[in-house]
Amino acid sequence: MLVVAANRYDQVAQELVSRWAALGAGLLTCADLSLCGWRYPLSTTERSVAVIGGQVLPVEEITGVLTRLPCVFEQELVEIVPDDRAYVAAEMTAFLLSWLSELKCPVLNRPTSTCLSGPYWRQERWVYAAQLGIPVEPVRRSTALSADTSPASSSGCSASVTVVGKHCFGAVDESLATQARKLADVAQTALLTVHFSNTQADAAFISADPWPDLDSDEVNDAILAYLQE
Amino acid sequence: MILLWGLPGDRPLIAVHTMLQRLGYPVVLLDQRAVLRTEVELCVGSSMEGTLRFRDQTISLSAITAVYLRPYDSRCLPDIVLAGQDSQAWRHALEVEDILMSWVELTPALVVNRPTAMALNSSKPYQSRLIRSLGFEIPDTLITTDPDAALEFWKRHDTVIYKSVSGIRSIVSRLTTEHLERLLDVTWCPTQFQEYIPGTDYRVHIVAKEVYTCKILSNADDYRYATRQGGGTMIEPDTLPEEVANRCKMLVATMNLSVAGVDLRHSQNDQWYCFEVNPSPGFSYFQQATNQPIDEAIARLLASGDGRNLR
Repeated sequence: MLVVAANRYDQVAQELVSRWAALGAGLLTCADLSLCGWRYPLSTTERSVAVIGGQVLPVEEITGVLTRLPCVFEQELVEIVPDDRAYVAAEMTAFLLSWLSELKCPVLNRPTSTCLSGPYWRQERWVYAAQLGIPVEPVRRSTALSADTSPASSSGCSASVTVVGKHCFGAVDESLATQARKLADVAQTALLTVHFSNTQADAAFISADPWPDLDSDEVNDAILAYLQE
Repeated sequence: MILLWGLPGDRPLIAVHTMLQRLGYPVVLLDQRAVLRTEVELCVGSSMEGTLRFRDQTISLSAITAVYLRPYDSRCLPDIVLAGQDSQAWRHALEVEDILMSWVELTPALVVNRPTAMALNSSKPYQSRLIRSLGFEIPDTLITTDPDAALEFWKRHDTVIYKSVSGIRSIVSRLTTEHLERLLDVTWCPTQFQEYIPGTDYRVHIVAKEVYTCKILSNADDYRYATRQGGGTMIEPDTLPEEVANRCKMLVATMNLSVAGVDLRHSQNDQWYCFEVNPSPGFSYFQQATNQPIDEAIARLLASGDGRNLR
């Protein structure tokens, strides 16, 4: 089974699961973590039992996972009494961090200690990392109660490259694709969208995120191929 | 300049602050309660620069050589609670916190400890993998939403405790027959059960390469809450076998932490179990009981700036 882990209101994830229905895809949301059936013995994680889309199954039947959730948000725990939601959200997130990390199948992206779907980096860290040979637009932030909070600098972004494993997608100069792949390597992530100021070789790095737009068929196909490797 | 960030009522923070002042090192305490009078600027491009202003002080971020982090959730500060969610004060407090958190991840200064390194403690089973890989024992553990699986686990181990999966502090409690009815509640959220390991608890504080060991004698399941659990606790200074002490140091270094509190139990069959590595230890409780100079060790570490390469 292919699994898409997402927040319960993520329509893109639901559509992706529908598109991959013939491949036996299932949607994992926080609702599944409030169902009887999970068994996760730390000494023998390969014998774990999961609940995906309400279905109880041995973890060995899971062949690939796409994660689209940074964490479990307390706002989506509508079945939990309000006073317990923050605690339960932290518990579910902590559980998924360990469970996703232990999976032997392809996971896109592998979680990190700060995010369930790859690196959780603030804009400043992306800019800092991108300086390995990539021109950058500086990012400035300031805050004072007496003034309006300034947002991160927002130079226009008009070009994007999405990295999926070894492949890059986006109508840009080849050098930008190379830079995007280099940044994904630095961030130790296999799925990353990198935004540039334009499509030419002299473009500046603007920002990056591990949640690519899944409207593109070629990106979706590449994700599917990665998960089926 | 050494920056301390947190609340003046926080005992570890104040102990380090007092020690730094006593030793004559330049130190500034960023009082989190003054967040509404705090301003911060950060610019990251081909270089990184920024300014921190609070009360009557203006500090260049590049002048800070070490940082000791003990901040609490800004949303829980009295002024912010009073101002209300989404108020200008609320947004300002969160932005101050976010900019400073961004800066401490990137600054070449020594940071005790960087948030990314501390985040390993946000999931106990996730941290356990690393603990086990460095040679410590961990108790047999089951996380489940299945009451039958929890019962089977309990029968297998006879004595079982339960505790939180996340880094949120919970009271470690022994499972008893009184819990049988409530066991059905595990279906709502994955719950962590562990075999109970009889033995003696140790809290080991690692400060760079220094080791401070406390032996804890308690008849409670969770010595931190002994009185509440109808027991008592005694803490005394002790030493670890050299090999175990070295393993603690290696564990903490592998987690990119400069300071940590390691929770060990020496079992009755001479095995060393490690339950958790706390990246922001409340060492003052143990220091008060043992007179171990942990605050001085942290102060000297901050003054030395050793460990700047941990980013």
